[in-house]
Amino acid sequence: MKRLIPLAAFGAVMTGAAAAFAERLTGPQREAGLGLPRDVSLDGYRIDSLLMSTAVLTTILFVIMIVWLVWALVVHRDGKHKAEYDTGDGKKHVTTAVMISSAVFLIVDGNLFLNAMVDMSEAFWNFPTSDETVKIEINAQQWAWRARYSGTDGEWNTADDVVTLNDVRVPEKTPVVLQLASVDVIHSFFLPNLRVKTDAMPGVINRLWFQAQETGQFEIACAQHCGVHHYKMRGVLTVLSDEDYADWLRRMSAEATRAYDPNDEDARWGWEWDREEAN
Amino acid sequence: MSAQHIHPEPTTFLRKYWFSTDHKVIARQFLWLGCFFLAWGGMMAMLIRWQLANPGEPFPLIGQLLMPRSGGIVTPSAYTTLFTMHGLIMIFWGITPVLIGFFGNFCIPLMIGARDMAFPTLNMASFHTMFIASVILLGSFMVPMGSGAAGWTTYPPLSTQVGTPGWGQTIVVIAIFFAGVATIMGGINYVTTVIRLRAPGMGYFQMPLTVWGQWLTAILNVLFVPVLGAAALLLILDRTFGTEFYINGSMATENTGDPILFQHLFWIFGHPEVYILILPAWGIISDLLAFFSRKPAYWYKGTALGMTAVTILSAVVYGHHMFVTGMNPLLGKSFMLLTLIISVPAEVFFLNWLHTMWKGSIRWTVPMAFSVGVVFVFGLGGLTGLFLGTISTDLYLHDTYFVVGHFHLTMAAAAFLGSFAGIYFWFPKVYGRMMSEKIGKWHFWLSFITINAVFCGQLVVGWGGMQRRLYDPSVYTFLEHLGGVNKLISYAAFVLGISQLLFVYNFIASMIRGEKAGDNPWHVGTLEWSVPSPPKHYNFDPIPTVYHGPHEYSNPKVTGKDWVGQWEPPDVIGGPPAGEEKKGEAASGSTQAAE
Repeated sequence: MKRLIPLAAFGAVMTGAAAAFAERLTGPQREAGLGLPRDVSLDGYRIDSLLMSTAVLTTILFVIMIVWLVWALVVHRDGKHKAEYDTGDGKKHVTTAVMISSAVFLIVDGNLFLNAMVDMSEAFWNFPTSDETVKIEINAQQWAWRARYSGTDGEWNTADDVVTLNDVRVPEKTPVVLQLASVDVIHSFFLPNLRVKTDAMPGVINRLWFQAQETGQFEIACAQHCGVHHYKMRGVLTVLSDEDYADWLRRMSAEATRAYDPNDEDARWGWEWDREEAN
Repeated sequence: MSAQHIHPEPTTFLRKYWFSTDHKVIARQFLWLGCFFLAWGGMMAMLIRWQLANPGEPFPLIGQLLMPRSGGIVTPSAYTTLFTMHGLIMIFWGITPVLIGFFGNFCIPLMIGARDMAFPTLNMASFHTMFIASVILLGSFMVPMGSGAAGWTTYPPLSTQVGTPGWGQTIVVIAIFFAGVATIMGGINYVTTVIRLRAPGMGYFQMPLTVWGQWLTAILNVLFVPVLGAAALLLILDRTFGTEFYINGSMATENTGDPILFQHLFWIFGHPEVYILILPAWGIISDLLAFFSRKPAYWYKGTALGMTAVTILSAVVYGHHMFVTGMNPLLGKSFMLLTLIISVPAEVFFLNWLHTMWKGSIRWTVPMAFSVGVVFVFGLGGLTGLFLGTISTDLYLHDTYFVVGHFHLTMAAAAFLGSFAGIYFWFPKVYGRMMSEKIGKWHFWLSFITINAVFCGQLVVGWGGMQRRLYDPSVYTFLEHLGGVNKLISYAAFVLGISQLLFVYNFIASMIRGEKAGDNPWHVGTLEWSVPSPPKHYNFDPIPTVYHGPHEYSNPKVTGKDWVGQWEPPDVIGGPPAGEEKKGEAASGSTQAAE
């Protein structure tokens, strides 16, 4: 019995920890807690709720597993009784095993699959088509994010294009479509507070869309290892009110037009908007 | 079917210990090679964890010695090399030699009643190719600008001269190519041996599950490591001869190279690879749980076929590594469905493991403890995989520490604890002596608790959004509050690292002056326990005939003991006496029976 005390204690601690962890994850969101970063996007709730429901379901399965393991090790330990000779391939046993597996699959995986199918089709892969959509080109490089706005004229690679470094500004409650490319290696544009991420690759134009629901500053992170200073590839996403955004864009556009140098080929790295978002 | 000749035992030192064709010697060679690199890769993990716990501070005690130019501080460029080489070394030079090279070589012939591998010379060549690969790999640390630094996945263009100039990365890719060649040689050998050299009476469903795991692994190795070889070769060409398979934009739009091509090739290999690494451990613990519960493995066929189903499915799910690369939505959704389907066969054999212990008479030995540890970490790792196989949740979790925690639990922790389960279990057969149970228990509890702390901690910081491969997470304000958790993970990792010294001591001390083990110290019935410990040069003379399954425990028809050797005549469980068993059964069971 003595040798099983640490085991039972470990089982109890793990069960408690798992339960506390699940409570922590599913409880109200805290700014500095161990949960997910605060969600400020239109569709992030979809990911959060799917993460939460799966966390609860898997925690239940995990706790059942721990209880089973500890229980088996305690009550069926050597010397308690003779082992039962059971090869487990009777029809009843096989049916039960397959039924349990299928049930778990249908509930846990089914929940994930169906929700993901709906969320991808309705939100993350359903690119907005409305006229008010903000379009931004992101060109990644080692180790910074360059952003280009078509400016007041709506044409790319013209004198009034607004170009920024590690500083992406968007209006709130407006869909934003990003087209992503890279000049050197693969980077990954990650907005933790908006729950989206897409790779930026040389030679390919990828796209990503989101809608921020509140104003403020949020971080842009690089999620793909892109060289020695990968960790420094941090940008800032500033969500502005509609008026502030329009004001900023107008100011920047005028400034860009004034500073425009027609001989500077390198400054015109933008591309024609690749695909119109049509469904 | 050729007869298995008994060749005379080699007499010279070189033929006996270095250029040996004996599978048992080659197994030990792989074990030592693997343990050396596990220690090397583990040391790198300690440096990584030190940096994450105390960014920018010099590593204590030996830091000056390891990194004299920076005064013991892990620099950003050293850090990229550390996590790159930690991954590559642990996978190709740590787990592969131990779980496949050692257990495969040692267990397959002994457990199926063969005198050696089907191709002993190829087997020798496999180890020596691996040895060459190891020398090349170690050479990469000595060239200017350092070893590989593009991540273990070596995604181009970062892994081409564009991102990692210098010789280091090239040498590493060449070393991987050689390691792949060695693995394929071993794989061909294992597949053939299992098909051709099973003892008379041993059908596929009389094989121990350890052999099933090794066999399925070998099949995956033979099919998919060549893909890695192709990918590596193209990368070597890109790096040294100026070709552009992986650079210069998209193949689809510009008719030139494509970085995505590498990701497809890499993951076609890479996803089967994670099963390659875990299948041997699944097999080992499927057997050990039955052995030490003194019960037949619950629904043996379900476990064997479940592992087979996972093996087949592993070939068609690799796309889930590429959900955020701008993949075609239809393709993404198909890969998601296929990935989730893997959980069905996995649940079947997981339930079988739990059921095997139920109503058993569980002997809490060190191998059993480690086996239960594998069940635990694999359960946790498997459940966390659900979050990553789903596109929408992966959108957030992709490339975060959640992924790191998940794959370490499944293929690192499970393979690590599984290796120990196997080593403690077969050590008496390998060296003829027992390992200390007392030190083994300490080793188990320290390893088990800290390994869970480390990888569960990683799940927590990943859930908070912390990306992989960050030199200093405090650059991001949204990760600042995770500093404490990162420290905790690191301290647990240090305890984990240091507690492995217990194993090293136990291993070496037991080898020299451990208690002598008899032929069958654990009282189990698979064929390797019918011969002396350590086995003679050619294992079996004569080759045994198999009459029972591998897990005949606590059979009520047997009196006086609770196990039945596979070699024992059928009348011990009330069957007809030896030699009168049904002819058809034996013939269908093994090709060798027809000999």
